[in-house]
Amino acid sequence: MPYQANVTDTAYHYDGSFPGFLCCIFESFSRREIPAAVCPPEEAQMTLFGVREIATDPAHAQRVAAGLDRLGAVVRDRITTGFLCTDPGKDLKLLRFARLCFDLGPRAAQMLGDADAAAAFAIERAVTGEAHRYIEFIRFEERDGMLGTVIHPKHQVLPLLRGHFCSRLPDEDFLIFDATHGTALLRRNRRVQYLAMEHYSPCTDEAELNWQSLWKRFFKALTIEERRNERLQMGHVFKRFWPDMCEMRPDLPVAEESTHS
Amino acid sequence: MDLGEKLEILADSAKYDVACTSSGVDRPGQHGSLGSCAAAGICHAFTPDGRCVSLLKVLYSNACSYDCRYCVNRRSNDRPRATFTPRELADLTIGFYRRNYIEGLFLSSAVLGSPDRTMELMIEALRILRQEYHFNGYIHAKTIPGSDPLLVERIGLLADRLSVNIEFPSENSLNQLAPDKNKKAILRPMGQIAVKSAESRQELAVYKRAPAFAPAGQSTQMIIGATPESDRHILNLTEGLYKKYALKRVFFSAYLPIVADEHLPTLSTRPPLLREHRLYQADWLLRYYHFSAGELLSEEEPNFDPYLDPKCTWAVRHPEFFPVEVNTASRAELLRVPGIGPKSATRIVQARRLQALGMAELKRIGVVLKRAQYFITCNGHTPGHGTRAEIANALLDPKAFGVGVQQLSLDDFTAKPLPAAAPAVHELAAHGMAADQAARLVREEALTCLTKRM
Ligand code: SF4
Repeated sequence: MPYQANVTDTAYHYDGSFPGFLCCIFESFSRREIPAAVCPPEEAQMTLFGVREIATDPAHAQRVAAGLDRLGAVVRDRITTGFLCTDPGKDLKLLRFARLCFDLGPRAAQMLGDADAAAAFAIERAVTGEAHRYIEFIRFEERDGMLGTVIHPKHQVLPLLRGHFCSRLPDEDFLIFDATHGTALLRRNRRVQYLAMEHYSPCTDEAELNWQSLWKRFFKALTIEERRNERLQMGHVFKRFWPDMCEMRPDLPVAEESTHS
Repeated sequence: MDLGEKLEILADSAKYDVACTSSGVDRPGQHGSLGSCAAAGICHAFTPDGRCVSLLKVLYSNACSYDCRYCVNRRSNDRPRATFTPRELADLTIGFYRRNYIEGLFLSSAVLGSPDRTMELMIEALRILRQEYHFNGYIHAKTIPGSDPLLVERIGLLADRLSVNIEFPSENSLNQLAPDKNKKAILRPMGQIAVKSAESRQELAVYKRAPAFAPAGQSTQMIIGATPESDRHILNLTEGLYKKYALKRVFFSAYLPIVADEHLPTLSTRPPLLREHRLYQADWLLRYYHFSAGELLSEEEPNFDPYLDPKCTWAVRHPEFFPVEVNTASRAELLRVPGIGPKSATRIVQARRLQALGMAELKRIGVVLKRAQYFITCNGHTPGHGTRAEIANALLDPKAFGVGVQQLSLDDFTAKPLPAAAPAVHELAAHGMAADQAARLVREEALTCLTKRM
């Protein structure tokens, strides 16, 4: 395929921002080459290739963004959402996918038999999949009329949670703290902002703890012992979500922490 | 009695109702109200038995004046009783909903005095939620058999989904086990709901602001394994219900003996979970795979194979249908291939417009080839060459032979058959054979038998 014609052994280094990434696409397009790697700062030291620093030029970024817009929502979302993924190597995969789409048009997104299209699809799914888990499993607690929660996601899912919770809780103030990446989504007086944040202390308000205990009692009462199947349960709620879900935390600090891996 | 205790009792009493989905309506949030609905439904937790918790599923009351033989809440059973007030229930729903514990409420009830009185109280709780608290989340309400059609109409304007449980797969069984209920009292509201929803959809198409009647449709549930009906009978009934009453879902609930009764299986009977699973698989084939009940079971074979899922069973019986060429077959044909589901079928049809598909492409698309490879060709090539025994081996359903350690107690680490393993495995294990050996033995036998059939 033409876009793959010139695979070079140059690695692009960029500043890790989304406009910076778009400039990598611009560079690859204007030089008619496919880089061997595309590295944000945190992956930079790992490369074995010759390095080219790609400067972030807003004008270039805008041209690529407009191009992606023309390719339609499926392609654009696959790249913008995929960019929230934190798996190393995602940048090159998304760049190759972008080049494929610029070559073949929007239909390339459905060419899942193609390695680049399949890789980009998998990246997007990893992010949307995790975001969906949080839509299911976030547990808010209330303090002073405001809802708050802490999560530990792999990927940067906050932008994907925003629409859902703003629509669902249209008149509430809330805060979702992403402890992995040190950012928080804050909605106050119907306005949303992203903040850098370091620490979240769980609520100790008695009324709130009472709600949590009601929920736990409900959850326990629902279990049908004769059907108990913890493997099935773990297949649905991976253990890494448990610490942030009040019904999955053991009641007493000592007892019950189970021994399975 | 404090609210927590009530909640425990009324959730415990409701837990045998299996429906807990919040699917079927798409409704964005609105300023001035609380909540939204997603058409696909959202789960919020999974209990240790692996079931999804989507809704606050409770009974309004468990103080029943009826005496259905199979039910824990029957009048003659000695157990703690509780009843919510409409306000308590509404507050509980809002408190849980704001914390993202639930998608909404699933409200059902025992018969508190009379069906009409029960329905009136349920309606009052829903009225507070919708009209006072402006709750815009999901509500599923179960109508009480025998209540006034006017009440059914009122509750339908407050709820997203309604259900009437048909309880048992035949009238005979119903009469024997639920002496206070009758078929007519169950089917009448079902018919009424079907007609009302259809009317409401038409009105909504004309004027947007027309009140919506149960926009997520209706569902029903039946208990299987307590009565002698065959899978074929149950599946034909299911198909008929989908057609006649435009049901959105039919749920099956494996009978779990909770009360001793001469008309019911003994208390030591294991709930037929594998059978329940097969019925759900067949139900999916009806709804998403264009199968009909008549294709899946026949008079000669009225029950599902415990070791093989219904689609594989069909494939084994219809070798003339295969192989299916992935580059040209219709979506409906692809759907008949073991291992290809609706998503894979759609992706195959889309991807092949731009490129010819071989094995490598199918893998990238995400098609699971373990079974499919023996039933397809890619541009005329057969990807999977297997002996009959190899193919049979790939087709057997691992679920039937599941063995594992359950965390019932912390010091018991012996493997046991998983709850949904085949009855034969459970039986051998109950007679003292080690679980994994029992599973292996049963599997070998099933394999030999299947190989012969192919
Ligand atoms: S009506 Fe029958 S099934 Fe319903 S709660 Fe009462 S006894 Fe149980």
